[in-house]
Amino acid sequence: MRTTALWAAVVVATLGPNLATRAMAEDDHDHEEQALGQAVQISAAEIEEFDIEVAAAGPGSIATSLSVPAEVRPNADRLAHIVPRYSGIVTDVKVTIGDEVRKGQTLAIVEGDESLAPFEVVTLISGTVIEKHITLGEAVGREGPAFVIANLSSVWVDLTVYQRDLVRVGVGQNVEVYIGHELAGKGTISYVTPIISERTRTATARVVLSNKDRRWRPGMFVTGKIIIAEETAPIVVPRTALHTIEDRIVVFLETPEGFVPQPVTPGRTDTLQVELLDGLSAGDRYVLVGGFTLKAELGKESFGDGHGH
Amino acid sequence: MIERLIDLSLHNRMLVAVVAILTMAVGFQSYTRLPVDAFPDVSPNLVQIFTVTEGLAPEEIEKFVTYPVEASMTGLPGVEKVRSVSNFGLSVVNVYFQDGLDIYFARQLVGERLQEARDQIPEGFGEPEMGPISTGMGLVLFYYIEDTTGTYTLEELRTLQDWVIKFNLQTVPGVTEILGIGGHERQYHVVVHPEELLRYKITLGEVVDRIQANNLNVGAQFIEKNGEEFVVRSVGLARSMDDLGSIVMKTDDGRPVYLRDLADVEIGGATRRGIQTRNGTGEVVAGMVIKLFGANSSTVIADVERRLLQINATLPDGIRIVPYYEQKSLVAAAVATVTNALVQGIILVALVLLAFMGGIRPSLVVALAIPFSVLFAFLMMGRLGISANLMSLGGLAIAIGMMVDGTIVMVENVDRVLRESKPDENRGRVIARACQEVGRPIVFAIIIIIIVFMPLFTLQGVEGKTFRPLAYTVALAMFGSLLFALLLAPMLSDLLMRRPKSSREGSPREALIVRLLLRVYQPLVSFFVRRWWAAIGLAFLMLAAGLILFPRLGSEFTPKLREGTVVVRLTMAPSIALEESKRVTMIVERRLVAVPEIREVVTRIGRGEVGAHTDPVNSAEMYVILEDDIDRPQEEIEELIREKLGDIPGVLATLTQPIEMAVDELLEGVRAELAIKLFGDDLAVLKERADAIAASVRSVPGAADVQVDQVGGTPQLLIQVDREAIARYGLNVADVQEVIRTAVGGEVAGQIFEDVRRFDILVRFEPEARNSIEAIRQVLVNTPDGGVQPLEELATVREIVGPRQITREDNQRFITIQCNVLNRDIGTFVEEAQGVIAADVALPPGYLLTWGGQFRLQQEANKRLRLVVPATLLLIFLLLFSSFGSLRSSALILLNIPLALVGGVVGLWISGQNLSVPASVGFIALFGIALENGMVLVTYLNQLVGEGVSLAEASVRGACMRLRPVLMTAITTALGLIPLLLSQGTGSEVQRPLATVVIGGLASSTILTLLVIPALYRWFAGGVRAQTSVNETK
Repeated sequence: MRTTALWAAVVVATLGPNLATRAMAEDDHDHEEQALGQAVQISAAEIEEFDIEVAAAGPGSIATSLSVPAEVRPNADRLAHIVPRYSGIVTDVKVTIGDEVRKGQTLAIVEGDESLAPFEVVTLISGTVIEKHITLGEAVGREGPAFVIANLSSVWVDLTVYQRDLVRVGVGQNVEVYIGHELAGKGTISYVTPIISERTRTATARVVLSNKDRRWRPGMFVTGKIIIAEETAPIVVPRTALHTIEDRIVVFLETPEGFVPQPVTPGRTDTLQVELLDGLSAGDRYVLVGGFTLKAELGKESFGDGHGH
Repeated sequence: MIERLIDLSLHNRMLVAVVAILTMAVGFQSYTRLPVDAFPDVSPNLVQIFTVTEGLAPEEIEKFVTYPVEASMTGLPGVEKVRSVSNFGLSVVNVYFQDGLDIYFARQLVGERLQEARDQIPEGFGEPEMGPISTGMGLVLFYYIEDTTGTYTLEELRTLQDWVIKFNLQTVPGVTEILGIGGHERQYHVVVHPEELLRYKITLGEVVDRIQANNLNVGAQFIEKNGEEFVVRSVGLARSMDDLGSIVMKTDDGRPVYLRDLADVEIGGATRRGIQTRNGTGEVVAGMVIKLFGANSSTVIADVERRLLQINATLPDGIRIVPYYEQKSLVAAAVATVTNALVQGIILVALVLLAFMGGIRPSLVVALAIPFSVLFAFLMMGRLGISANLMSLGGLAIAIGMMVDGTIVMVENVDRVLRESKPDENRGRVIARACQEVGRPIVFAIIIIIIVFMPLFTLQGVEGKTFRPLAYTVALAMFGSLLFALLLAPMLSDLLMRRPKSSREGSPREALIVRLLLRVYQPLVSFFVRRWWAAIGLAFLMLAAGLILFPRLGSEFTPKLREGTVVVRLTMAPSIALEESKRVTMIVERRLVAVPEIREVVTRIGRGEVGAHTDPVNSAEMYVILEDDIDRPQEEIEELIREKLGDIPGVLATLTQPIEMAVDELLEGVRAELAIKLFGDDLAVLKERADAIAASVRSVPGAADVQVDQVGGTPQLLIQVDREAIARYGLNVADVQEVIRTAVGGEVAGQIFEDVRRFDILVRFEPEARNSIEAIRQVLVNTPDGGVQPLEELATVREIVGPRQITREDNQRFITIQCNVLNRDIGTFVEEAQGVIAADVALPPGYLLTWGGQFRLQQEANKRLRLVVPATLLLIFLLLFSSFGSLRSSALILLNIPLALVGGVVGLWISGQNLSVPASVGFIALFGIALENGMVLVTYLNQLVGEGVSLAEASVRGACMRLRPVLMTAITTALGLIPLLLSQGTGSEVQRPLATVVIGGLASSTILTLLVIPALYRWFAGGVRAQTSVNETK
């Protein structure tokens, strides 16, 4: 009898917590890693609530581009260095920096050292005086230009092209020129330097821009976006539609069973869009915005004990 | 010795009275000073070390921060375990100390070692700091700042929080820290335009250097002038955005280039890892009050609330601090539940005494045992540092009925002996004799009750911390009642009790109720004594009922304590961005706030100031605040919330409670039965082998819910510097990384002081130049020869999926494979699984498997209990033996136990409750009470037999004589628990199973004591009979 009592006590004292922990552990975690191929079902109200947007797949254009730093320079083809024909003393200066001059206009009068006769220094082109190196009474020679006249009705935008991009950049490509983040002009590449600067290890691509309104000032730093290719593709989707699930790139496809992650192969991309080589055909309805919610829903089971500790 | 004690107290009444009153006075004083908490604090004894390093990925955090901190903590005395988590931007090292080690000592040890760790952490990688001196129960009050005008920006509100409210609240005694979250921490942003850098030929590094070099104040001692001292100071601190913008970056040909020429200077917010939203309408700024370890929750909260009122008065018009969660109501509710039970219990017990004793005087003596024992317990609680909470006060409530038992027996005997005594006998002598008669059994009975609670002291972990306070207070109160019974009861009896005057009809009559009961009981007991087989049959019948019902009981761990506040915890995809997290959270908030019963929903997403929470941004905690007039049980509210929440796409929602959540965070985390930990170095290998192990374990029959820790899943942009490329341009890796860090992440270049408030100056590229992979590839790096190169020329930039967090234990990385076991013994399962894994999965050298989880804890607990329970029973048996001097009597008393258990089981079954830890505690209490009943009876039967009464007659007469004390002790104990049984208040869910078991068990054991023991006595009286036969032959 005594042992019975003992055992009863032991049974209660030991079995109690035993059974108790067992019950506690019944936290079910059915956990399979098969997100691909599963459909996410979600009500119309929730599509609205979570701002999920759906669109039909279709063709579009992909503009592959390259943004590079650039600098505005005077158009060297429309630049004139005006040098007095003879050395002498400057007796009159008729223009100053910034003046607009016409071809043949007298810029200064110099008295020749040998002839002692005054002669006119005239500009060879129409344009703006951008440099002036003579002063009244000064003795000038033929060593350097007395005036630099630039025709600023067009300017050069010199784009810095880094070594690795050179193969993609060529004459004839369209370029958008941005001041800050504002699109300010468009042009085409007219020239790419055949050699690379030893100091900067970059090449220069040149765009000639018209500058009738004088908004392009030489010396400005701008950004050039070189449109490397602009092509149309049968299936183009915004990059927001792509998601990565289990190392596969997918687009969520709307099907009668729900939204299904559809593996796709991306082709060419630009900053906003991406071409899909397979996985989606024209007319398929896919999730444009809000795919992350669906992706999260697929992985939900595994969130489990996932916080902090 | 016991007799002498009684004599002593009777002879020194004055002294005893004074000591008793003093004891009670000190006890009362101790009661007023006891820290009051809602529940016992079950947080582990740990020191947390946080290191914030903004912008660093888990791998770097682990390598440069976590590892040195962790390594410096090894070998500290009293450390049980060091566990760490390296998250994005945050390293948390938890140093777990042995329970009972002084927390300030532990912090001192950690602090000393932290000094070493600081030297090991590279410059600029953050400063490790210890968390607040608090525990999981320390988050006592949360508030948000309400702006009714709608004109303040989140940044202004946060500044108000950080520089006004926080400092003000921190001075409240008992508050250790105020942590802010939400809004924007004010910063001065220098938004650099990269093309301007190119134009002016200035590098990003120069910008940072220039700002630092132009933002100083210095002191230059003092000069003497006409006998006076003039302090010399030079002021050059930037004080405004204009000052900052005017800092000269370089001078070219005499023309200065100002900072404003290259960058926009603006006020902005610091990078955020957490926000606070409300009602699905927008963000709010919030704060949380953390209580100092050991401070009195209720006073701290009251003080904080008072201070909040004062602060509110000083805040600008329309701005108000609104507390949305506080523990005070919970503390009050929990304490109210048990104090109500205490008071009601005392009243019920007093009524029973009156009814049974039939007189006020003896009842008064007995009733006085309660305040004395309770106050004695408070006195000792103060000494031992046990706080007043649901459990410790609950222990007192449980013990109420038992506290009076000793005195009942004593006073009852005095009453009886007085009634039977000859009128001419000295009253004092009679009382002394009566007391001495029962002194010994009382001492033994009470000691046995105290001993019976011994196994509770061996409970470990959460259960131990939960139930130990209860065991302590029961033991203390019982000890107090022992003192009272031995020292005060005789003295008080002598003082208060009179010889009954109604001795005209022979002996004075018993109370009416006792006479009525006796009329029923006497024939019943005679019947069972005559037909002993009926008694045995009854006993077996009851036992059988118990054995049938026992397996049908459900089981659960400790029932959940209801805190009265519901928190919805949202877990979102690990890769989620804060803005998306906020969008989704607010959608969920809107769902909830649409429910009419819900007034408000306030949510914390991620973490705010470091110290309390370490959650990443994919985790949100939603506090649901109900309308004031909603008075419904928490289960219903939870059901309602669950229903309204529904299934949220992409979000895992679980319901929890504030304290539960905070404590869980600090505990080990693994809640499955089996946790296999794989230790090793390489994260990829760990993950791969863990998956293989999981596959093997799944193949073992009985395996359920096998799950591998989700360690990965965070996308990273990995920029790997190409060493050959940088060599060509003459760059160092650091040159490139410096640019990446500053341009993309931003670099703090000093601070702006607005009076004493200081705000960081953050230099960073404009968003367009850094917020896409393409933009980052184009970030320009200056080369030493004056050129510039885009990042992609110097490094490869690619997207990878990296670890979400890295967890370490005992200085090693690990990954956990969790598993439950169904329909099978876990021991054999583990053996089989170990075999399968050994055959299937080859572990590289240096990789190690450990097997743990709840099953391990359970095994340990079982092992301990298998030792402690029999030891306790043995000890009790020895005590009984030394008290009775007879093996048989002792065995007879032990017989009470199984039948008492039966009643407990039936009680649980009838009330539909589960077998849980508190129910087990109830069973333990039952042991003691059942033994006490048996002792009271058997002692007297032995006494009668000793006096020469025949066995059969002694059985009947003794039982009738002892009906009153046995019933009284049983009924007082049971009635004392009735309020706990019926209470619906906070915390009653833990006390109810306990009360059910004791009340049920008392019913069955009383029946047994009164009916079966007298019947069986004939076989167990052997030891005594030898004596009696001598008497009989006389």
